[in-house]
Amino acid sequence: MNRLTADQARQLAARVVALTQADAAETLVISADDSLTRFADNRIHQNVTETDTRVSVRAVLGNRQGVASTNRLDDESLAGCCADAVAAASAAPADPEFPGLPSPVPVQTPVRAAEAAAGFGPEQRAEVALGIVRQCSSRLIQAAGGVASTLQTVAIGNSLGVDVGMETTSVRATVLAQSDRGGSGWASFFGPDPAGLVADALGDEAATLAQRSEYPADLEPGSYTVVLAPEAVADIVDFLGYLGFSARSFEEGRSFLSGNLEKRIMSELVTISDNACAPESFGLVFDYEGMPKRRVPLIENGVATSVVTDSYWAARTGRENTGHALPAPNAFGPMTLDLMMGAGDSTLDEIIGSVERGVYVTRFHYVNAEDPVPVTLTGMTRDGTFLIEDGALATPLKNQRFTQGAVAALNAVKGVTSERAFFDVMLGSALVPGLLIDGWEFTGQTG
Amino acid sequence: MRDLVFAAINAALVKGARYADARIVDSREQKVSVSDGRVEAIESGESFGIGVRVIADGSWGFASSAAVTTEAAEQLGRQAVAIARASALVAGAPVNLADVGTFDTRWDGPCEVDPFAVSLEEKIALLLEADEAMRAEDAVKLTKSHLGFFRAHKCFGSSEGSYIEQTYTESGGGITAVAVAGGEVLTRSYPNSHGGNWLQGGYEVIRSFDLAGQAPRVAEEAAALLSAAPCPPGVTDLIIDGSQLGLQVHESIGHPTELDRVLGDEAAFAGTSFLGVRDLGQLRYGSEHVTVTADATVAGSIGSFGFDDEGVPAQRDHLITDGALTGFLTSRESARAISRTSNGCMRADGWNRIPLIRMTTVSLEPGEWSLDDLIADTDDGLYVETNSSWSIDDKRLNFQFACEIGWEIKDGERTRMVKNPNYTGITPKFWNSCDAVCSRDHWQVWGLPNCGKGEPMQVAHVAHGASPARFRGIRVGVGR
Ligand SMILES: [Zn+2]
Repeated sequence: MNRLTADQARQLAARVVALTQADAAETLVISADDSLTRFADNRIHQNVTETDTRVSVRAVLGNRQGVASTNRLDDESLAGCCADAVAAASAAPADPEFPGLPSPVPVQTPVRAAEAAAGFGPEQRAEVALGIVRQCSSRLIQAAGGVASTLQTVAIGNSLGVDVGMETTSVRATVLAQSDRGGSGWASFFGPDPAGLVADALGDEAATLAQRSEYPADLEPGSYTVVLAPEAVADIVDFLGYLGFSARSFEEGRSFLSGNLEKRIMSELVTISDNACAPESFGLVFDYEGMPKRRVPLIENGVATSVVTDSYWAARTGRENTGHALPAPNAFGPMTLDLMMGAGDSTLDEIIGSVERGVYVTRFHYVNAEDPVPVTLTGMTRDGTFLIEDGALATPLKNQRFTQGAVAALNAVKGVTSERAFFDVMLGSALVPGLLIDGWEFTGQTG
Repeated sequence: MRDLVFAAINAALVKGARYADARIVDSREQKVSVSDGRVEAIESGESFGIGVRVIADGSWGFASSAAVTTEAAEQLGRQAVAIARASALVAGAPVNLADVGTFDTRWDGPCEVDPFAVSLEEKIALLLEADEAMRAEDAVKLTKSHLGFFRAHKCFGSSEGSYIEQTYTESGGGITAVAVAGGEVLTRSYPNSHGGNWLQGGYEVIRSFDLAGQAPRVAEEAAALLSAAPCPPGVTDLIIDGSQLGLQVHESIGHPTELDRVLGDEAAFAGTSFLGVRDLGQLRYGSEHVTVTADATVAGSIGSFGFDDEGVPAQRDHLITDGALTGFLTSRESARAISRTSNGCMRADGWNRIPLIRMTTVSLEPGEWSLDDLIADTDDGLYVETNSSWSIDDKRLNFQFACEIGWEIKDGERTRMVKNPNYTGITPKFWNSCDAVCSRDHWQVWGLPNCGKGEPMQVAHVAHGASPARFRGIRVGVGR
């Protein structure tokens, strides 16, 4: 079985909508080829591929709804799936707040599937792995990481006439370089096709950082000026989206935006939007109800601006539908999947050059939230933490634990880099710069 | 199914594979959730497919598909070999597997009341009853309650001649009350946070939780947290309840003893381990009160099975014995690094994933204390319950956990309630500070349905037996 084209997926969605014996119905089809070559200890140790197509049906009876899904595509299984969705809807109590399925809105679907990603097979992935490994093994450094490609088709149809479909591609590569003298470095790539992926450069970046970070020293816990490389910033922005940018958490008083719209809550250097339609984006331009995504300004020059919605939360709060539905049934509420943080006008090197004494962080590890409203995060630094002295990276440091409110940190931003990069995060992707932040709390370090 | 499994295996052998196994997995699930008096989700799903894993040219390859026909299975077997040959372009030492017997058998997990046969109406009524009981508390502004059911039928075959079919059913659920006021959000959960508790079994599992009966207490504690004091920063004697201690075992003993992590296989994603192979039999992991087992035979645990996904029989093994490191969680490949055979920890999250080393039921064995005696024996301390946040470094050394609720202990009495208590430590130092573990009367198995590992991400259903225990001189109230 092969991955469906956008047209095939739309036709399947329409067929399943028609099969569903309910007042209204919606079908989501996700068809994907996922492949990943993983390496560790300078050799490929896992190499996998998967082809799957899932069909999910939301049946509506009056104001009651139920969902069922399957990856069996024969007629009998699809009919059974539709019947399960109808049975779920008929068991549900009446829900007066359910506004019904959304009506169609025109969606412009750009061509975002890169042909080069389709030809990126196991031999090509191995070649990238080899280029990375050579950069490391020649320096007696151990490389670990992965080279992955995803080819995905998503289509949504409903009985009110929603009929959208789109193919997307993504390629991801990561490199962890480790020396036996405690050095650790990291580099990553995330883009729509393998064109921008230069194996030697990626391997060199990680290996150089590993060499540079050998024999890491202790740091006293306390408050420090930090320069966070873009990958570290991606984790912070990801948690802002998870906890705060949704109309649901906003309405429930659980968001840092609750009661703060139109107020300045972050540094005026901070501008964050959700924008799947930006030309550099490579994800879906509609949400999982088939509604067009639009650019939503969330923080503009530090001022809280708005939140994202889906059909349910738009109706419930009297806002416009911004196209941020997750697949039904969605117990999380609308979510940002394409966060973008505005770039500044200094390079990362210039920003490091401006710091007399501080800490440079390549990336974080295992970040989690301890308190939702201030978005208090704890986590560790990883793969290249350095003291900054007199405007330059100095002594490498052991991995540090931080316990820090993300909103407070973004209110203490003193500089934003001109360089930005895309990262594959918990919620979709994020395009972010590096940041200079004052008063960052390090609360411990690794043993 | 047997024919399809061996069609895939034989196609791989014809193409030159030295070893091949294939798994067909047919799974179904159902989830029901209620929030704020509203049924938020009624959802069912099924997934069916086949995955083929091979060793060719000394390297691994794996291919999987939802197409399960003889022709497609043979095609997958050939594709897996082609992928293995690509792996060999960047090869290390040839992959070798520790020996295992061959089995032709089946295994079925426990299930008294088929949860898929219980009506949706009954499940919804239970959740609405619990939800209403929580919402009776004014300060509770958000409620959630949910039930989930999962069943898998797996058919495994290998080129060494095993063919094993297994079926198991899992049931779980929980309730959460969130009190919100003045920009503060405080949560209380039962029977556990992050997905509730899960066991192998049918609807009888849900009935045993008494979700509606516990709802008023849960809501009351969430409301009380609003006026509780913050956890004062300092160093104190910490008593941790069984559910949080289960997660502590998970993060700071379970993951670091996974031998694939020790050997560096997960370095680039979740990290490695502070342990090395050389530490086996040498390292003092904890105090003499700390004995930890990995047991895939615990009746009713979601960490149990008849055979792992490499066809290795379920076992009970010691990871830590009276404080000394005596074992790792292993696979057939990794076990060779410690000159042992596999203790059967390889599990895959479905037909489309390769098996990885996963925890089974990894438990802190019970001690002798009653919880009341332990609190009475503590002059100045903190008692904490139910995880709210977890983080641990890439070698599993520096951890920080936050809990939903805590109480100060003064002169042997549980006194003032504190909100958002957290604590931090370094793994071996922490376990060496354990001076008392509560008895089997307080010991229970906590199912953890959401352990993430590997790329692409796999979610495993694992479990931990634990009773409350005391740790001396622990740093609490971090960053407060
Ligand atoms: Zn885990």
